[in-house]
Amino acid sequence: MFGLVAQTLVNGINVGAMYGLIAVGLSLTFGVMKILNVAHGEFLMVGGYIAFWLFTLIGLDPFLCLPFVGVILFVLGALSYKLLFSGLAKFHEEAKVKNSLLVAFGLFLIFPQIARVLWTSDERAITPAYSGESFAILGIRVGYVPLAGLLVAVVIIFGLHLFLTKTYFGKSVRGTTENWKAAKLMGINVERTYLITFAVGAALAGIAGILVGMMQTVTPDMGMPWTLKALIVLVLAGIGSVGGAFFAGLILGIVEAVSAIFIGPYTMALGLVIFLLILMFRPQGLFGKE
Amino acid sequence: MLEVNNIDVYHGDIQALWNISLRVDEEELVSLIGANGAGKSTIVETISGLNTPASGKVVFNGVRLDKEPAHKVVAMGVCLIPEERGIFPGMSVMENLELGAFTPQSRRVRQETFEFVYKLFPVLQARKKQAAGTLSGGEQQMLAIGRALMGKPKLLMCDEPSLGLAPIVVKSIFEVIRQIKTSGVSLLLVEQNVRAALGLAKRAYIIENGRVAGHGDAGSLLDDERVKGAYLGTN
Repeated sequence: MFGLVAQTLVNGINVGAMYGLIAVGLSLTFGVMKILNVAHGEFLMVGGYIAFWLFTLIGLDPFLCLPFVGVILFVLGALSYKLLFSGLAKFHEEAKVKNSLLVAFGLFLIFPQIARVLWTSDERAITPAYSGESFAILGIRVGYVPLAGLLVAVVIIFGLHLFLTKTYFGKSVRGTTENWKAAKLMGINVERTYLITFAVGAALAGIAGILVGMMQTVTPDMGMPWTLKALIVLVLAGIGSVGGAFFAGLILGIVEAVSAIFIGPYTMALGLVIFLLILMFRPQGLFGKE
Repeated sequence: MLEVNNIDVYHGDIQALWNISLRVDEEELVSLIGANGAGKSTIVETISGLNTPASGKVVFNGVRLDKEPAHKVVAMGVCLIPEERGIFPGMSVMENLELGAFTPQSRRVRQETFEFVYKLFPVLQARKKQAAGTLSGGEQQMLAIGRALMGKPKLLMCDEPSLGLAPIVVKSIFEVIRQIKTSGVSLLLVEQNVRAALGLAKRAYIIENGRVAGHGDAGSLLDDERVKGAYLGTN
């Protein structure tokens, strides 16, 4: 029994790190701009496919794909924001939330179709030579790829945390989150802050896409399930803390993995039950303020 | 230094300001007085670029401000301390002040400005690591003023700095405003506390229903029968 539970924990942490990585991007855009990007998972899908291309067409190692995919998704995110979302900035809070939902749902309809044209509906996987390898500690098998994925996620989250707390631009992002009007009065170009934040969110999703493509598969319709996971994690964590979102991702991953031992296929439902319970009893989330 | 010429401002379909004109000269302290909802805040928000006037213009040292976004207006040296202060509650006092010096020219000299602000408000130095939201109302107002000073303004606009503060705190805030004026910064002060506002200012404008209902020397306004009746309650 110990072996099973410990093994499940390890697997849960690996999946949870991906949840955390994608939730942090969603949390960032939602916190800063107050728009809920339900197409966030689509960026993950695109990131996965680009890494798949780089890997199969030019044989680039998936971990070396990280910076390329990050940059490409940053540009894609910036373009999406500039063309589709920036016009919404002038609306009041409620109209902004509603209209951004519509725009993002539009993206969610379009992106998978484009992916079907470019990459067909077949499941794709990024399978470098070492993809199935693992080593054992205390009888628990740890895969190299999931372990490296976890490390990548931790390094990125830590880097993002340092960026937000130590750099002038990062502080201006937090200021904009707390009070955009006052941020403008400090001389902060709020529109540019929005653009860069959205692009960073897309880049984080794209990087998560590579890791997911190595551990699972990439399909045109994978975006929405990941958006939903990110949303559950976001509600679990509460807005405003990068570390909190990542930690909540780990919690969800572990809960899902451990519960799978006992309730099998109902783990998906368990995530949604947690979602509802948190909304009912602690709407500010586990790590949120107020 | 600052000239506002015949501006009309709308909030959506509703007109908030009619044909407002006013000016602030170099090293001058000018007050805007008037009742709640008269449009005083809309005037300073328009000058700072948060609202765009439908007609008329705002000129600062010969440069048109009314077409510029708010962050460019700040970079030109016009800072607004908004009503309700607009501090960043989850960030530390020091981070709030750092963001005050966001524009490149003020960021370069921020170490000196920090010393100046800490000397003006020693309590901010004592609490620099504390989250700004945990400060008292008066300390938050000091932080808002200190943060605006970090931007090295040439013209500082204060919107209701005395709002919701205890009388003794109000007194010290007004004292600080007087000190800021002697340090060479021009001020545009929005106040409902008319007696105090007229006591500090050289000139004042009376705003009623989005229009300039009168202006003149602060001293003569204090003796004006209409001002006495409407705002000072001593008719």
